[in-house]
Amino acid sequence: MTRIDPVTAAVIQGGLDTIALEMGHKLMRMSYSSIIRESEDFGAALTDATGRQLCECRLSTPLQSGPIPGYVRNILSTLEARGETLNEGDVIMHNDPYGGASHGPDVAFAVPVFHEGTLVGWSVTTAHHLDIGALSPGSCGIVDAVDTYAEGLQFKAIKVYDAGRRVDPVWHILRANIRAPELVVGDMEAQVKASHIGAQGMLALIAQHGLTTLQAAADDLMDYSERRLRAAISALPDGDYSASTQIDGFLDDPDPGRSNLTICATVKVRGDALTVDLTGTAPQVPDKPINMPLVGTVDCAVWLTVRSILLDAAVVGPVPQNEGLTRPITIVAPLGCLANPIFPAPVIARFCSGNALADTVMKALALAVPQQVSAGIGNLRVVALSGLNHGNHWVHMEIMEGSYGGRFGKDGMDAVDTLYANTRNNPVEDIESHVPLRIERYELREESMAPGAWRGGIGTIREFRFLADAGFSIEGDGHAHAPWGFQGGSDGHTASLTLVAADGTVRALPSKVPYARVKAGDRLIAVGPSGGGYGDASLRATALVARDVADGLISAATALRDFGVTIHKDGTGERV
Amino acid sequence: MITVGVDVGGTFTDLVLANMQTAQQVIHKVPTTPGDPSVGVLQGVSELCALARVTPSEVRYVLHGTTTATNAVLEHKGAKTGLITNDGFRDILHIARHQRVEHYSIQQDLPWQARPLIERAHRKTVPCRLISPDGAELVPLDEEAVRRAARELAVEGVESVAICFLFSYLNPAHEDRAAAIVRAEMPGAFVTTSSSLSPQFREFERFTTAALSAFIGPKVGSYVAALDAALKQIGVTGELRIMSSNGGVATARMVTEKPALTLMSGLAAGVLGGGWVGDQAGRNRLITFDIGGTSADIGIINDGQIVETDARSTSIAGFPLLMPMLDIHTIGAGGGSIAYVDEGGAFRVGPQSAGASPGPAAYGRGGDLPTVTDANIVLGRLMPGDFLGGAMKLDATAAERVIATLAARLGLPLLDTAEGVLTILNANMANAIRSRTLQKGIDPRGFALVAMGGAGPLHAAEVAAMLAIPEVIVPPFPGITSAMGLLVTDLKYDAVRTLFQTSGQFNLSRINADLAAMQNHLAGRFAADRIAPDAVSYARIGDLRYVGQGYELKVPIPNGSVDDASMAQVLDAFHAAHAAEYGHAFPQNPVEVVNLRVVGRGAMPRLTPGRAAPGGSLELALIRHSNTVFRVSGTLASYPTAIYQRASLPLSQPFSGPAIILQKDTTTAVPPGWQAEVHPAGSLILTQKVLP
Repeated sequence: MTRIDPVTAAVIQGGLDTIALEMGHKLMRMSYSSIIRESEDFGAALTDATGRQLCECRLSTPLQSGPIPGYVRNILSTLEARGETLNEGDVIMHNDPYGGASHGPDVAFAVPVFHEGTLVGWSVTTAHHLDIGALSPGSCGIVDAVDTYAEGLQFKAIKVYDAGRRVDPVWHILRANIRAPELVVGDMEAQVKASHIGAQGMLALIAQHGLTTLQAAADDLMDYSERRLRAAISALPDGDYSASTQIDGFLDDPDPGRSNLTICATVKVRGDALTVDLTGTAPQVPDKPINMPLVGTVDCAVWLTVRSILLDAAVVGPVPQNEGLTRPITIVAPLGCLANPIFPAPVIARFCSGNALADTVMKALALAVPQQVSAGIGNLRVVALSGLNHGNHWVHMEIMEGSYGGRFGKDGMDAVDTLYANTRNNPVEDIESHVPLRIERYELREESMAPGAWRGGIGTIREFRFLADAGFSIEGDGHAHAPWGFQGGSDGHTASLTLVAADGTVRALPSKVPYARVKAGDRLIAVGPSGGGYGDASLRATALVARDVADGLISAATALRDFGVTIHKDGTGERV
Repeated sequence: MITVGVDVGGTFTDLVLANMQTAQQVIHKVPTTPGDPSVGVLQGVSELCALARVTPSEVRYVLHGTTTATNAVLEHKGAKTGLITNDGFRDILHIARHQRVEHYSIQQDLPWQARPLIERAHRKTVPCRLISPDGAELVPLDEEAVRRAARELAVEGVESVAICFLFSYLNPAHEDRAAAIVRAEMPGAFVTTSSSLSPQFREFERFTTAALSAFIGPKVGSYVAALDAALKQIGVTGELRIMSSNGGVATARMVTEKPALTLMSGLAAGVLGGGWVGDQAGRNRLITFDIGGTSADIGIINDGQIVETDARSTSIAGFPLLMPMLDIHTIGAGGGSIAYVDEGGAFRVGPQSAGASPGPAAYGRGGDLPTVTDANIVLGRLMPGDFLGGAMKLDATAAERVIATLAARLGLPLLDTAEGVLTILNANMANAIRSRTLQKGIDPRGFALVAMGGAGPLHAAEVAAMLAIPEVIVPPFPGITSAMGLLVTDLKYDAVRTLFQTSGQFNLSRINADLAAMQNHLAGRFAADRIAPDAVSYARIGDLRYVGQGYELKVPIPNGSVDDASMAQVLDAFHAAHAAEYGHAFPQNPVEVVNLRVVGRGAMPRLTPGRAAPGGSLELALIRHSNTVFRVSGTLASYPTAIYQRASLPLSQPFSGPAIILQKDTTTAVPPGWQAEVHPAGSLILTQKVLP
């Protein structure tokens, strides 16, 4: 039963979306660091007073907006435990990875929205900051943090504005403990502004429709999204669908407990609900930061994957992103496993494990809905490059794309962010104009296409040359385990990283490299993964194979070997 | 002097002839001929001249809005195109910004991969490399490799080539040299360089702009040449000028060289027309709002200036376009938008449209889905016997039947359902306007809404009310505002250069040299187009941002030689613009000048002010009374409503809503609580009497 008429619900949904869009639009335009403005690694959302998500900005990245409800709930419980009161004009900073945050660098600025003296909602932005004061420069590739304390500053529901008054000491502490404070604090100030814009928008919506109507509409809209997902789950045959994958972990670590770690997911479909049970996933790594916060990373990875497959936006159109989409899903993760670590196990480099978890959930769901998934995705790699220039830190972060597996009826997407990440690369012309790096190559890998009726997506090759002495660190995965092929398609291709020193020495690197120094003239070569193939390669249309050859993606010899297709002089193909 | 404006739309080709001396204006409409639009244009021009009793040879200018380029991209029917780029960067067009279009989708298509402008087979790489900050040569251009690439492309049957090198915006030498080689190797091919179109940083966007240009180049070139020749054949000796996306016109030669200029040709003319109408009514803060059958186009004019997009918000069919364009926002909302109840029980309107065929159920062409037009009929706002001046009868029974079916699904009464369709559509449009204004720090409440298109005047007052906009302007001929807009533009050419200089370290001689070089370049273009130098004016603009930011704001640069004082003015203007757009500024932070721009305008003869015909009265205009349904203060009710004929309305005499005003090309709804009057310049002005 709905609480208000469907016309008002539609009007309010449009109003909420417009507010969230404006928050994100202004945040990305005001912010300073490329990780926010170019990569779009930020979130913007409104919630009700208790943290139930009402809407999110469609420009934001899923792993940023998705955790916002968790941030709010933890802010509320932390303040209550401390006996602190919430006032109109407060702005609260929070980044506790064991309190809703995805990891420490993703700092939220939350503005409580008061209407006639009562808390009625929250306007929140999150963003990935370039530096959060961890043991080495940058906020990615901190792969040697031994515990949460080593990952940087932890803010647990800290007021940075108290009843409208700026709490200067907090900002002084921030500036003193973060590298590149101009950039980072500038971005944080932009976040505060954008959160205020959302709060004003919410109040305007209340003024327009009345609080009771808005709340009723919000409840109806959540019910609506829930209903859509439940209907999609109901269409699946009841049953348990299990899959597992492996992540690299730390391939160069002599301790076998730190490499080739299993992620296991069983999707248990029962009527219109499902449980994602992660039992079987490897134990946490107590002193390496690839553990995944259950709230803030694991839950977002699961929600995103289920929704992207069962309510695929390209197939069913837009469905409001709100709390309703989480209600039909229960997540089970044994305490102390990679997907539910125990404080203070470090988590800062949880990005790749979380995306692999999303891929594993897709692999399990593939058994239920084989035509709605892709074959295995190629995971990402995040690199921080940094140096000192006349006493000032420069830090550049780059998220290096993966690729999708083949799909039923379609090839995989090439060279793209996958699953819960959806950031943007930095233009070569921007990078070289602002930091001492030269990009010498950025193109598709050739001869690395997973065969299938619909081929896997193809990864990239990027080559960076350092023009000055510098440092770099990397968190990535997928060096040891190729993306899975599906329905007879072949497995994809693994990623690799190579450091070529100016003197010609070549060094193969593992997928995780803590802060390391490099010299001017050294080159870093990053080869990205290619997704798995879908369906039997012998079923691939000969015209498509011929096009792949014409496009230089594979040679004629490969076409014959992998697809059984001979390429004639005129470029046409024939199956032998 | 006689000027003709011809705007080719999806269904109709609209024409206006204006004699700038006698203020004679004649309008005409012919069906668009999609196979070859020039057929309809010629027919229209011939008929229009006959109607106006002028001979074609008297026409000094034919100003043309065309969708040839737009359609070639939307339908992905362009030339077989090739690319020559740097070694190591073959796939910039394919990797794009490595971002998916949809967050939550496995089955989505990425436009640049699913519908590539240039297939990988035709993307060739050659050794060469320039570097920042000044475009110095790191690796020389391998001319032999360029020659080889051109020969390969020729063998592959490529008709059009884009030449795109990294950092060419700093130094076009390699691109220019490669273009010369390719032209020599591939005579007859269309050849363009990325730096000649848009010398700005961000390689994917610049390369894609060049690729789009090459993709549509041969088609646009042959269309313009054929049209030019055909116009001469019917005796038009005047010049053909084509509307550009930047809100100016360009010569046929310019458009042939830079076809991407015309990707927003038709839409730009609409905003100009709306601006002119507002100007005639003495308003210079306007939101133009053009609703047709399937979409609504929204433009903004702030203090007389048409708002342009920033370089990062412009795209067509999912491809970014790095060229100066008016900020026109299109949403899928129009008279044909289909209302439905989705699988989850939500009430939605659009973006799917019944279009013109089968069209709304009331058209009686087999449409059986409820549309916005059907809802307007059920509410009594559209008159079944008076549509298109009575030329087309609408089937009110069919409209009621489809809305009743929808009502049954929703469990709502018939009239609530019909009104709900309009409210949802209007809210979608109000949100679109809100996002285009508030996001830029513009408060829509100080603006007037200019209602255009066949359906704009039906919805405008209610959309305005949602935004607390107090005033709506309905032009004399809302259906042909785009054609009118063609007659109020100037020749407008843009030049841009990326600078990357930071406050405190400005290199004034470089800035002055760049500005002078750009102005000289434009002066050369105008001279080549035979525009007298004293008819040309120049404006200078900087794209600025705080160091570290990724989005720039446009700020005027004072005339004359740039010195420390003028740069201080530029910085002040930037802080003010930042405060206006985002709500705050950081005056202590360093500022980066990213791009310099020069805009040249060659003055063109302009349409003379319109005049409303005197002598009307409300009694003369009144056709009848009938009942119409509106929601007022939350209550839905039927109101006895005066139905007027627009042409007979009196000047400057306000009358109250509810009222419906009929004319051939549109119907205007004046809701209860609003009043209307005819402005001496011919527009209807609707004002809200009591703001809720």
